[in-house]
Amino acid sequence: MHMANELLSVPVAAGTLAIAAAGLGLVCRKARRVVTSDKLALMGVLGAFVFAGQMVNFQLPAMPGTSGHMVGAVLLAIILGPHAAAVVMSSVIIIQCLIFQDGGLLALGCNIINMALVPSYLGYALYSLVAAGKSGALRSCVGAVLASVIALEAGALLVPAEAALSGVLVVPFSHFLITMLGVHLLVGLIEGLITVAVLGYLQQVRPDVVLGRLPGRIRLSRKAVLATMAVFTVVIAAGLSLIASGLPDGLEWSYAERPDQPGFHPIVSNEDSRVAGIDDFQSKYSLLPDYSVRTSKLGQLLQQESQTAAGWTSFAGVAGSLLTMALIWLVARILRKRQPQKA
Amino acid sequence: MHHAYIDKFAYQDSFFHRLDGRVKLIVVLVFTALVIALPRTSPAILACYAIGPFAVLVWAGIPLRFVFKHILVISPFVLVLALSCPLYDRTPVTVAFGPLIWQTSLGWMRCFTILGKFVVTMLALIALVSTTRFNDLLAGLQRLHLPKLLIIQLGFLYRYIFILIDRAQHILLARAGRRLRNLGFKTELQIAGAMLGSLLIRSIDNAEHINIAMQARGFDGTWHSLSRLKIRTADLLFAAASVGLMLALNFFITPLFR
Repeated sequence: MHMANELLSVPVAAGTLAIAAAGLGLVCRKARRVVTSDKLALMGVLGAFVFAGQMVNFQLPAMPGTSGHMVGAVLLAIILGPHAAAVVMSSVIIIQCLIFQDGGLLALGCNIINMALVPSYLGYALYSLVAAGKSGALRSCVGAVLASVIALEAGALLVPAEAALSGVLVVPFSHFLITMLGVHLLVGLIEGLITVAVLGYLQQVRPDVVLGRLPGRIRLSRKAVLATMAVFTVVIAAGLSLIASGLPDGLEWSYAERPDQPGFHPIVSNEDSRVAGIDDFQSKYSLLPDYSVRTSKLGQLLQQESQTAAGWTSFAGVAGSLLTMALIWLVARILRKRQPQKA
Repeated sequence: MHHAYIDKFAYQDSFFHRLDGRVKLIVVLVFTALVIALPRTSPAILACYAIGPFAVLVWAGIPLRFVFKHILVISPFVLVLALSCPLYDRTPVTVAFGPLIWQTSLGWMRCFTILGKFVVTMLALIALVSTTRFNDLLAGLQRLHLPKLLIIQLGFLYRYIFILIDRAQHILLARAGRRLRNLGFKTELQIAGAMLGSLLIRSIDNAEHINIAMQARGFDGTWHSLSRLKIRTADLLFAAASVGLMLALNFFITPLFR
């Protein structure tokens, strides 16, 4: 679910980065109140645990050769409470981006929202709604599975939404959405089951861990959770319908945005001001010269000459760049060979 | 146990290693934004953009084989994304490249654009990570007013990731040594749950010991670092050079291929 840079446009990336930064700042402030300084080491090590835990894989049924593993947000939220879990998951995602290059630097905002902030809070809210206070085994099972499935699905839902808002989708929005939701339904189920298994083990071996010795446990009123969920659902539904109506599907979309082809009649004209803004932003940059759509034989003949010229400039650009790189490499190699002799 | 330290080259020394982490981070962020903002790019522009990070990597003495191997390791998701383009966008286009002119579809062009952008932005990110020690980067981020809690969290995380990954590998090895056949989903799930649970408990106990040791040495919730953080002439030079290069690329080189 890590988004790459290429799935986003710069305005959307900047917007989500700002939202994630603001959200994270708020969460840190909240968490600071719940977490005393002697629990900082615990949070750090639990973040590392999420990394290590993702390596523990197990065989899935009915699909030989595939294996599942834990994601960890919901388990952390249950153990640490939502604020601390959101901070830990965000740090995990930042490290994944910076050290392991998993997910792009520009997409960091989206990834923090999708995989840290939303799952931590949603997962905690759902788990405590179902399993709050009472210690029935069935209740906590249902709560953990439900929390994992819905929290992951919410994050997975945001991925196509953010990509569609960026206007970079070639794949039809609905296809992308259904694929993401389908895949993450499975991932969420597995996550829920493994969370139940871990909680079961902990209850046998160290019940104090599950029962709230650790920091960050907060009380949620059932009404507040339900109200938040309702608002969240309405916002998501409204946003999705806006995107679905505002954007034509993939192929038409590619027809609609061809400002580089003045003679091209768009099949779908898009009146959305947001989309127009993105188009404006993009058209400030040069558009690719040496693509041209072959509309008719005549058109191709007319274009042939300028097209070959564009082809040569582009060829020169690539060749020049490669030559420069080769030169840099050669110079560095010669310099480095000399260095040990000096030392 | 052995695992690849992804930032193992950050501990070398070169002109770029000595630069301030903040400057490098901001330059890489702006560079990435510029590359992503290029709509349907011609390979020539991307190749021009690639020169910058490539030069840094070579100058800093990062083995190119390591860089490209690493890009290959992290590419599967983007590959799926890129390869779905030709399936959905079949608008025919004529492409001219030097002496060659051939017919293809817009989807394939998009596919190569996405891959090209991915490689160029990843070159920049790898150049940043393999010339900057993570703790220096954190100290820089702290100066940029990131929340202190998050900085401390990141520091701890970085410190203990590899230790816990080692431990997880020990547990996995132990399971592999004992399990000789598939045990069915329920048992497998229970085993994985127990493995994760014991890993979790050991982590919590460890954290307790770490906490006691740190409290005994006077840890009060702030991170102290010996690394000097000063913008020097070299940093300014680097910033000016990269801003100049990016401006030139954006306003002079890019229109050449218009």
